[in-house]
Amino acid sequence: MDLSRRRFLQAAVLTAAAAGATAACGGGSASSGSKDSKNLTFWYWAGGLSDKVVADAKTHFSDITLKTSVVGGDFKTKLLTGLRAAQTAPDITGIKGEDIASFLPNANRFVDLNTVGAKKLAPDYLAWKLKQATTQDGKLIGFPIDIGPCATFYREDLFAKAGLPTDPTQVSAQLATWDDYFKAGVELHKAVPKTYLINNIGSVFSMIVGQGTRRFIDEDNKFIGDQDHIRTAWTTAVKPYSLGIDAKINDNTWNAAIGNGTLGTEIGAAWHALDISNAAPGTKGKWRVASLPGGPSNLGGSFLAIPATSGNPEEAFKIISWILSPENQARGFTDAALFPTAPAAYKLPALTGGDAFFGGQKTIEIFGPAAQKIPAAYEAPADAAVSAPYYSELTSIEAKGKDPDEAWKDAVGQAKQIAQRQGVK
Amino acid sequence: MSSSPVAGPAPTGPTSGPDTGPLGQPAPDPSRGPGRRAPRIRPVSAAARPGPRRRVLRHWPQYLAISPYYLIFSVFMLFPVLYTVYLAFQKWDGIGEMQFVGLQQFRFLWDDPVFWMSIRNTLVIWVLSTVPMLFMALVLAVLVNSTKRFTAFYRVCLFIPSITSLVAIAIFFGAVFSNNFGLINAILRGLHLSAVPWMSNEWTIKLVIAALMTWQWTGYNAIIYLAGLQAIPSELYEAARMDGAGPVRIFFSITIPLLRPIILFSVVISTVTGLQSFTEPQVLFGSDASTNPNSGGPGQAGLTTLLYFYHQAFDNNDFGYGAAIVWAFFLLILLIVALNWWLVQRKERRP
Repeated sequence: MDLSRRRFLQAAVLTAAAAGATAACGGGSASSGSKDSKNLTFWYWAGGLSDKVVADAKTHFSDITLKTSVVGGDFKTKLLTGLRAAQTAPDITGIKGEDIASFLPNANRFVDLNTVGAKKLAPDYLAWKLKQATTQDGKLIGFPIDIGPCATFYREDLFAKAGLPTDPTQVSAQLATWDDYFKAGVELHKAVPKTYLINNIGSVFSMIVGQGTRRFIDEDNKFIGDQDHIRTAWTTAVKPYSLGIDAKINDNTWNAAIGNGTLGTEIGAAWHALDISNAAPGTKGKWRVASLPGGPSNLGGSFLAIPATSGNPEEAFKIISWILSPENQARGFTDAALFPTAPAAYKLPALTGGDAFFGGQKTIEIFGPAAQKIPAAYEAPADAAVSAPYYSELTSIEAKGKDPDEAWKDAVGQAKQIAQRQGVK
Repeated sequence: MSSSPVAGPAPTGPTSGPDTGPLGQPAPDPSRGPGRRAPRIRPVSAAARPGPRRRVLRHWPQYLAISPYYLIFSVFMLFPVLYTVYLAFQKWDGIGEMQFVGLQQFRFLWDDPVFWMSIRNTLVIWVLSTVPMLFMALVLAVLVNSTKRFTAFYRVCLFIPSITSLVAIAIFFGAVFSNNFGLINAILRGLHLSAVPWMSNEWTIKLVIAALMTWQWTGYNAIIYLAGLQAIPSELYEAARMDGAGPVRIFFSITIPLLRPIILFSVVISTVTGLQSFTEPQVLFGSDASTNPNSGGPGQAGLTTLLYFYHQAFDNNDFGYGAAIVWAFFLLILLIVALNWWLVQRKERRP
C-alpha cells in the first residue's frame, strides 16, 4: 500500500478526530471529583476477600453506595491502567502481596493510611506485615487482608507406612531442620516408592529465602543475591533433587499428583490448604499440618489500599477497617481461607475449631505461633523481578539435569543484569 | 485503493458533451480510472469547488462508512505502536515518572542471554510447526479437492480447529501430554513402552507447542489452498492426463507451480503468526509458580519472545525494556518475511 500525501493527511485528520472523540468520552463520564463522595468503587479479585463480608459492608455502611467489582485476569496490570486516570481509578482496591513492593516507589499514588486512622489500629495487626506496605519514610499504603504463614502439610497415612511419626507435634519436633526433613523424605520414598517429598525445588528455595531477614536487594538498593544467605538457600534447595525425593512437578499436573499420593508432603502457606482440599477432596482426613522445617516463613498475603484519587478517603478507610476487623477476618478465614492479620482473631472460634480435612486437627496451633514469629525482611520493589532467574534455573536443573553450580552462576549473572536494568546498584 | 492520484485539473462540472450522456461511456479522463462509474449528474453548486477536495467530499458517505475502522485502528493500533517506539527509549514502571535512557534498553537487550534464548526457542517452534503444517495442509487440500461428496462437511471440519478457543486447546493439550497423568503417556505405558516427559524435556516442550499450533492452523491453510486449487483450470489437468502424466507428475508439474502465489501467501502469514506464538506457552506453563510466572515452563524451554516481552512488561513492570524487546523482534520478523519472499520468488524468476 503506497502512502500518498492525501492518504497521509486523511489518516492524520482521522487520528485527530479519534483523539477528540476519546477525550469527549472521558469528559462525559468524569466523576464529581469532590472529596466527600457518597459513591465508592471497590476492586478486588475472586477469593481475595470473603464475599459475604463485602456484601455485609454494603448494608453496614448504608449512607454510602459501595460498588464492588470482582476484577478477573491480571489484576496488577488492570490496576496500573486504572490508576492512571482519576475517572477510572477505584476508590478502594486490593493489592496482591507479591505486588505491594513494586507499588511502594509510587506511594504518592495512594493515600497514606496513617493519616486516616491506621496509626491507631496498627498495634492490633502484625507489625512485620504492616512493614511490607510501609515506605522507607513511613507512609503506609496498604492495610493487610491476610498473610501466608507457611507450614508442612503431610499425609499422615503415608508417614505411618514409612514408620515416621504421625502426630503433628512429634512431626514438628523431629522434622525441625531441613536436613531432618529430607532424611524423613528418603525414608518415605523408600517405604512408598511412588511418593516423593516435595513438589519442586523452587518451593523449597522460596521458603528458605522467606525464613531470612534479607532477600535479594538490601535497604541501600544494593544487589545481594550473590551472597551467602542466598547461596545457602540454593544449596539446601538442590539437596532433595540430588536425593531423588523431588517430584519435579512444574506444570499443571500438580492437581493429579496431590490426589493420587505422588506427593507425601507439601510445603506451603496457610491458604494452600484450600488448594489441597480442592485438588484432592478424596484425601480428606489423611492430611495433617506441622511446622515448617527451619523456622517460620511467609508466602503471599494481600492488602487493601486507597488510591490518592479516591472520592472519600476517610469513609474508605472506615470501610477497610470494618472489613478487616478481627471478627470479620475470622469470617474471611472460614469463607475464603484468608489467614487473619490481626492476632486477636486467632482466639476466635472460627479459627480454634478443628479442621475436618486435617482429621480434626486444630491447625491454628501451628499457623498462629508461626504467623507472629515471621522475620521482617526488606522487600525491594525489584525483588520479584530479580529473584525470577533463580527459579528458572532451579527448574532447569530439574528439567535438563543442568549442573547446579553452573545453574547458580547463570542465575546470579541474569539476576545482576535484571538488577542493573531495574536501577539497582 | 481504487482512487487514482489526481493529475491535472478535474472537470469542472457537467457540461453538454458525449462524456456526460446518461447512457454513453465517459471519455478517458485522467482523474477517473478505467471503468470508474461515478455519478455523472451532479448539482452545479458542488462544481464550484477546486478539484481534489471536491472529489473527497463527494464521496463523504463512503468515507464515513469506512471511518469506524480507521478511528479504531488509529486509537487502538496505530497510537500504541507509535507509543512503544517512544517507550523503548524510556525506563518506566507503569505509573511513576518516565526517565529517558537513550539506547540503554537496547544495550541491555544485546547482553541478555534470556532474550537470545527466547529468539532461539521461537525459531525452533516456528520451524517445527510451520513445515509440517503447510505440507499437511497441501495434502489435505488436494484430498478434499478430489472428493465428490460431503465436500462442505470436510471444509467445515478443516476450519473448526482455527476457530476453537486457543486457551481451551492449550488446556486440552496440557492434559493429553501431561507427564504423569496424560493420555499419551498412559497409552505408551499400556504398550509397555517408557513414558516420555513431554512437559519437562527441553525438546519435547517445543514439540508439544509446535503440535498445538500445527493442529490449530493446518485446516485454515488447507482451506486457503483449496480455494487456490479450485482456481486452476481443469483443462490443464485433462491435457496432462491425455499426455499420459501420472498423479504425482501432475501434482508437481501443474498443481505446485500454479499454486505458488497461494503458497507464498500462506508461508508469509504462517511466519508472522508462528513467530508470534504467545498464548500456547502462556497457558501451558503460565501458572507453574506464583513466584515466577510466565517463565516458559521447565528450563524456560517454552519461553517465546512474546512471552518474554509479556513477562518483562507486565510481571516486572519494565515497560521500556518490553518495548525494546518487541521492536527488536519486529525487525527480526521483517527480516525473515523478506527472506521467505526472496526464497519463494527466486524460483519463479528462473527460466
